[in-house]
Amino acid sequence: MPEALKAEDITVRFGGVLAVDRVSLALKPSEILGLIGPNGAGKTTLFNAITGFVPIENGRVTFFGEEVTGEPPYRRAQRGMGRTFQTERPFEELTVLENVLVPAFLKKPRRREAESLAMAMLERVGLADRAHQPALDLNLARRRRLELAKALAIQPRALFLDEVMAGLNPPALREMIGLVRSLSAEGLAILMVEHIMEAIIELSDHVIVLANGRKIAEGKPHDVISDPLVIEAYLGTD
Amino acid sequence: MAELISLLQNLSNGLLIGGVYAMIGVGLTLIFGVMRTINFAHGDFVVLGMYTAFLFNMQLGWDPYFSLPVAMAAGFLLGLLIERVVLAPIVDKPHETSLLATLGISLIIGNTLLLTFGGESKSVHVSYASLTVPLGAVRISVILLLAGLVTIIVIGALYFLLHRTEFGRSIRATAENRLGAELVGINTRRVQGVVFGLGTALAMTAGVALIPLLFATPTQTGAILTLKAFVVIVLGGLGRIGAAVAGGLLLGMVEVLGAAYVSSAYRDAYGLLVFLVILLFKPEGLFGRTVKRV
Amino acid sequence: MIGNLFGLLLLLGAGLAYPWLLPGALTVGITILLFAGWATAWDILGGWAGQVSLGHASFVGIGAYFVAIGAMDYDLAPWWSVLLAVAAAMLLALFWGGLTFRLHGPYFTLSTIAIAEILRLIAINENWLTGGATGVFIATLPMPFGIDLFDRLTQFYLALAFALGVIGCVVALSRSRFGYQLRAVREDENSAMAAGIDPTRVKLKAFMLSSGLTAIGGGIYGMMLSFLEPHILFFLLLSVQIALTAIIGGRGTVWGPLVGAVLLVGAGEVFRTTFAEANLLIYGVLILLVILFLPSGIVGEVNRRLIRRRYARSAQG
Repeated sequence: MPEALKAEDITVRFGGVLAVDRVSLALKPSEILGLIGPNGAGKTTLFNAITGFVPIENGRVTFFGEEVTGEPPYRRAQRGMGRTFQTERPFEELTVLENVLVPAFLKKPRRREAESLAMAMLERVGLADRAHQPALDLNLARRRRLELAKALAIQPRALFLDEVMAGLNPPALREMIGLVRSLSAEGLAILMVEHIMEAIIELSDHVIVLANGRKIAEGKPHDVISDPLVIEAYLGTD
Repeated sequence: MAELISLLQNLSNGLLIGGVYAMIGVGLTLIFGVMRTINFAHGDFVVLGMYTAFLFNMQLGWDPYFSLPVAMAAGFLLGLLIERVVLAPIVDKPHETSLLATLGISLIIGNTLLLTFGGESKSVHVSYASLTVPLGAVRISVILLLAGLVTIIVIGALYFLLHRTEFGRSIRATAENRLGAELVGINTRRVQGVVFGLGTALAMTAGVALIPLLFATPTQTGAILTLKAFVVIVLGGLGRIGAAVAGGLLLGMVEVLGAAYVSSAYRDAYGLLVFLVILLFKPEGLFGRTVKRV
Repeated sequence: MIGNLFGLLLLLGAGLAYPWLLPGALTVGITILLFAGWATAWDILGGWAGQVSLGHASFVGIGAYFVAIGAMDYDLAPWWSVLLAVAAAMLLALFWGGLTFRLHGPYFTLSTIAIAEILRLIAINENWLTGGATGVFIATLPMPFGIDLFDRLTQFYLALAFALGVIGCVVALSRSRFGYQLRAVREDENSAMAAGIDPTRVKLKAFMLSSGLTAIGGGIYGMMLSFLEPHILFFLLLSVQIALTAIIGGRGTVWGPLVGAVLLVGAGEVFRTTFAEANLLIYGVLILLVILFLPSGIVGEVNRRLIRRRYARSAQG
């Protein structure tokens, strides 16, 4: 059974700065992989490189055994890489339902089927009652769930979450954690970039830590959290 | 030998015309550099300058250069007013909004001129129109020479303003980073108003310098000149004054040489082709830093 | 959807009634319908896909010239010429878009102006192609089923069919997968890509559709003018008029461009006595008003208020 995602020796350079330095990771099917690290560690850059939004200088990315290095983001999405965006990007002029309709059309070209898929995804994330509301009226927590619904609507084989927990108040956070857990239980492989440790500890099967563009630790959540290298990276060398 | 002379003649003409293009371009690039606005009405301000000179010539018999101070002052005030009323409110909207706004202004100016002066093309005939000054075997038209002189003086003054005065520093700071400039206390609203006014004043000056050379029609000349101005600044690199000068000179030469040696019917097309090529392959211009691209 | 279909029927009815009500104003009616069609076609690229083109007069010119030259030099009936014109227009759009879609916003617009200008210069100078600056005169046209294509009334019905056709296309677009892809790309290209959409492909399709439809209108326009000069047809000012008609009426809406055409061409007629050729002044004033006070255009703003009010009511109920 091939890994859901394999990234080998990914190197990303911006101008003269090495943002990601030979990082490798592997995501198994049905697993939740957490990607953490202090600000500026290169997590989001790595994430964007894997999903195709940022060019890589060196390295390979394979998705379920197929090479996707160099493919544009929409090709990767067509293969089943679903992703959310850190600054939520609803299509503001459209309603909530229409927002999910757009990605739903990928696998369901006919309007009626796309609409049922979109509604189903809205129900999955608990937004079905707001289907006809203009998307720009949603609050933060609901926007996050909309992002998730959009990613799910392409019927992905793996989900890539970019800090979906940030800024949520405690009840909303619990809800989101529950949602991600249930998605994983359905068999979806998930890679999540996160700052919120509560979510990482509860959800991740495996965690990778980045600092200054390099992988400095990897393993089970509890082991990684108590790793002195990791603690030092987060707190600085004081 | 005759070919060499003719080449030199063409080159000198191209340079001088290029000088005027440079003046038009400098105004546009100043506005773009500070406000990130693509001023569609720029050519129409040039035409406005032309008509100002025409008006004074017709009513008072003045030589165009006498009306220059009036044109500059009027251009500055008009620009200030337009910036305040139309552009300031939309400063945070996407770029195409200001493009459409200036398009609207262009239509208003052009058509108001049409209503006031009628549709026939106008020019100003000066007594020294066909006078030339010899430089070796090459003859340089006095009008072009005067235009070139005005260009040098004006651009020199602009340079002085930008690099040797306090206000000039505020302008450059705002161009660099508007938010940052505000944080250090610069009144960017005032800066933008002044800059737009300067840009339009420069345009009107170019108009005054050009009217003895060209015929102006109220609605068409504006668009042609605006397009030329865009070519100039894209050639040189958007937002950089020295580069705009270089761009203007280059355009002048491309046009004259193209018309002389390839085909004069497509004179205007050479600049456009170069413009497209640069836009597509080196949008930062021949001298510039990177510019927005997908 | 029902609303849009109803609107189309209304337009058909109004169009059929018009020649009876205002028989002396047929030319104005044709102009309104042509602009409505052109602006709606423009809007597919400019409003739905969000790429502002100021070079659409090129496609009008292509349509008109193909009909003229087809009739005069090759004895082709207009519908064949129009078909060829559509093909030519779409090819031009493909090539043009392929080159320039990587340019952001205003730079794309600038490039459309440059390309249209170059085409205009070619049209003026290449006598063998277009009859040069002196233009082409369409002296004869075939008479299918005995219909006289020079007859104003016939041209009116053709223009009506054109407008209805283009608006009908957009109505279909609004519910279709392609329409949603366009809107997504316009709003946020990255998010659209994450949804599996190839932005360049989508924009190219929009451009080709837009240009082809515009060319059809150009063909009808050619028949109406019967004497074609390149500087009227390929002119920047015509491109600007088309674009502003759509923007003032409301970009990205189904009926906005039609409303814009009625308003602007109508106002132009009303002011023609006072302003003569300066009726473009109205365009200038209106675009400023729209930008400052009605950013989504007339119909766009109306839509916004309606949607808000409808949602507010249902949320309370």
